[in-house]
Amino acid sequence: MFRPVGRAFVGLFLLAASAGSLLLHAQTTTPADPSDPFFDDSQVQSISININSRDWESLKQNYLDNTYYPCDFKWNGQTVRNIGIRSRGTGSRSGVKPGLRVDFDRYTTSQTFLGLKSFILRNQTQDASNMHERLSMQLFQRLGVKVSREAFTKLFINNTYEGLYTIVESVDKTFLKKSFGENDGYLYKYDYNADDTPYYFEDRGPNGDLYVPHPFKPETNETDPHPDPIGQLIHLLGNDSDAVFPTTVAPYIDWDNFTRHIAIENVLADQDGFNGDYGVNNFYWYRLQNKNLFIWIPWDKSEAFKNGPSLAIFHNFLDGVPGKRNRLSARAMTLPGVQVMYLDRLLDAAMSLRQLDDQNPADTRGWMEREIQREYDQIRDLVYADTEKPFTNAEFEADVEKLRTFARERPAFVENAVAEWKQQRGLAVPARTLSSGRILANPRR
Amino acid sequence: MIVHLLGVVLISGVLTTFGAATAAGSPLQLEASAQATTEQAPKKAKKAKKPKDPDKAAKTKKPKTKKPKSDQPAPDEPIDPDAEEAPPVEVPGPFVWKQHPSFRYKKAVRVDFEAKFQEDGHSSYQGSDKAAGLDPWEMHRNRIGIQGTLFKHIDFEVERELTEQELTEKDITAGITPKSQWKDVNVNVDYIKNAQIQVGKFKIPFGLDELTGVTHNDYVYRSAGANYLAPARDIGAMVHGRFFKRGLSYATGVFLHDGDNARSKKIAGGDQTFAARVTGKPFRRLSHTWFDALELGTALAFTHVTDDSFRPNGLRGRTIMTQDNFALPVYVKGQRSRWEGDLDWTVGPASLRAEYTRVVDERRNQSFTDGDLPDARYRSWYISGTWLITGETKTRPVKPDRELFGGGLGAVEVAVRYERIMFDSVNGAVDAFSNPRAENILPTGERALTLGVNWTVNRFIKLQFNGIREHVDDPDRNPVPNGEAFWSRVVRLQLVL
Repeated sequence: MFRPVGRAFVGLFLLAASAGSLLLHAQTTTPADPSDPFFDDSQVQSISININSRDWESLKQNYLDNTYYPCDFKWNGQTVRNIGIRSRGTGSRSGVKPGLRVDFDRYTTSQTFLGLKSFILRNQTQDASNMHERLSMQLFQRLGVKVSREAFTKLFINNTYEGLYTIVESVDKTFLKKSFGENDGYLYKYDYNADDTPYYFEDRGPNGDLYVPHPFKPETNETDPHPDPIGQLIHLLGNDSDAVFPTTVAPYIDWDNFTRHIAIENVLADQDGFNGDYGVNNFYWYRLQNKNLFIWIPWDKSEAFKNGPSLAIFHNFLDGVPGKRNRLSARAMTLPGVQVMYLDRLLDAAMSLRQLDDQNPADTRGWMEREIQREYDQIRDLVYADTEKPFTNAEFEADVEKLRTFARERPAFVENAVAEWKQQRGLAVPARTLSSGRILANPRR
Repeated sequence: MIVHLLGVVLISGVLTTFGAATAAGSPLQLEASAQATTEQAPKKAKKAKKPKDPDKAAKTKKPKTKKPKSDQPAPDEPIDPDAEEAPPVEVPGPFVWKQHPSFRYKKAVRVDFEAKFQEDGHSSYQGSDKAAGLDPWEMHRNRIGIQGTLFKHIDFEVERELTEQELTEKDITAGITPKSQWKDVNVNVDYIKNAQIQVGKFKIPFGLDELTGVTHNDYVYRSAGANYLAPARDIGAMVHGRFFKRGLSYATGVFLHDGDNARSKKIAGGDQTFAARVTGKPFRRLSHTWFDALELGTALAFTHVTDDSFRPNGLRGRTIMTQDNFALPVYVKGQRSRWEGDLDWTVGPASLRAEYTRVVDERRNQSFTDGDLPDARYRSWYISGTWLITGETKTRPVKPDRELFGGGLGAVEVAVRYERIMFDSVNGAVDAFSNPRAENILPTGERALTLGVNWTVNRFIKLQFNGIREHVDDPDRNPVPNGEAFWSRVVRLQLVL
């Protein structure tokens, strides 16, 4: 039998434990994002836009302009009035099936929808399968990279079906807050115009104004973009000696984030990424607040898979025409630790593509092949009904088939290339690359 | 800029001396000065009356020993059409410089050469140099032109702005409309005095402030209503005339479009326009002289507006100096109806002006479902007062009794104007939004107070100092954070030849 003091102590202990448990529960339970249902990719979404018919015709006729047009937006029974849309894209711009930027706060600064200020309706005019973007972003997500959420949607303009689109979450302050827990840093978008000279991260000098606002377009702090760290980083890449480079570059680059980004792009055989065939492209750069550290955020993967399953693993930085090699990626590979990190990320990505389904041992298809089938089943009828698409139905089917082939061939090619590279240099080849591919890293389903 | 200013002052001194000497020796000095203040004032003087008494005529020709400087007309001073012309005299040669450098051939041809220069130094809210692209110094207007008369009854005028920029190919491809460098280019025929015909490019007869000549303004900037709601110049034909010795004036005409103010690089503007304006001095026959010069005016204008351009085609509102947009144009189609009423009162050294303008745009087929929307509405008013503290009688332009280079300091005038401009829609019952197809347009507007000092140094040079306090209604569209009011400051140097 406890004495009164002892009972009181035990009581207090239990109370504290209960309170602690509740507190812990409160801290570990992430509140649901109100926009999650909007990006739910288990189903095809449906979006309706009411717009003056002349505005819609005008938007299509002047699709190269960024002129905004007012309209009403409807999704899942909810209507948002007083929003603005405009034509968007670079190579994907179309006057027949326009890509759209949808801004909820265009005419009312504080207006949001499900916490979103804007989103993108990608028109897939460069991707007959409609899946390049979705598959790519899912791979980034599976490997722990913060990327935009996406889902397929039917788009109705004034009650007329205008085709199959992809909803893409905007990379903006809302995204930054959700992804990195802060958004007061500096966000830049690499802004490539069709008539720009390809840029390979050559040194233009240490002055940030040589890089901002073009090609690095400020997306936050537009009037005070603090561009100097960009100039400093690119300048030291081209000028610092090997002896000091690892130290001087450390405040600017998180090698894990960087190697993950370029390794996944390589495994995806992306033609138009950071080490793309047309110079650097399609990424956001976020410099964390009060730091010089830059984070890569992937963007626009419609050109993924186009370089085929046999793309070399050092494409455009350790091979290719010397003048057209990416200066940053090439310099990074001179650091032995970073090179090994890159090779490991390649293997991670390759294994993720061919990851088997633990719930269905009889299924011999890897994750990517299964995902292609799932998405194909979702969108096939909608693609066929899409009369605005710039591809025939046969081209759609052929491109899907090419993706299936890619899913089957690419992982093995990458793993063999990595093993060969390591063996040539006497590096250890991890046994996991030779396994069945039954890995559990970030299993999706 | 400072060198420029010094140069202008020196030139002015030379001109004053030269001009005074020329004028003093010129028999044309007896041309009466004008009280007319608007650019619509026809320039043709009446035929001279033959003096009945030859002795009196000789007296009239006799030069006075101490002539007040104010009898010498300023270069931008309109010739009074109702004044009696001096008796014909022999001109020593074809070139004369009285008001302007002038070429004359007998009575058949008169060609005056004109120039107007206005250079500004200004500043506004913090960051306006970046946000609004406001340069501390601006060559605001640099216009040259000619005006004259052929065969006594045909007046003509050609004026061109030198500093406005042409559009690039990219601008034109983007559908941006050019702003013409040609200003007044027109011919006026006055065979019938009460029904003169003017054809060409000139100001549509609408709005007291807008019709006041650019060098005659009491303030550096016209009122917001004049700048954004009144039509300004366009190409057209007009009939105008005066009755009862200026007791009643009228002007009415048709124009291709509805003026420069209604269009911009991105706004197409209206099409065919009809306008009419009537002004009168209802109290001129009263015995009390205070009300002699009280003039009331009103004008109407109707314009056909299309939505052919893919951009919104309504009127816009911008801040006075920095030209920050606080009211963007909405989509309109149908008829644009303008009405204004104004008052212009001058008593001795003081003047009072007030004006109210209302514009309504139809919005046919402009909703998201292609239906009609309630009319867009734009309104403005101002009240303005001036006082010549050096005692001259108020005229436009002001004529100093003693010029700076003629034994005095020139004329100094203080001025104050309060104004309001508003943008919304008629009968908006639903929630108001700011988008250009909103059924109920979110009301917005601006209030502005202008305090000014005008120093007319001599008949060629004027310096204007204005402080402008502006407050935009909608904090979201105010260029200054937190919707606060802001001050702008401007000094303008004006040289007219």
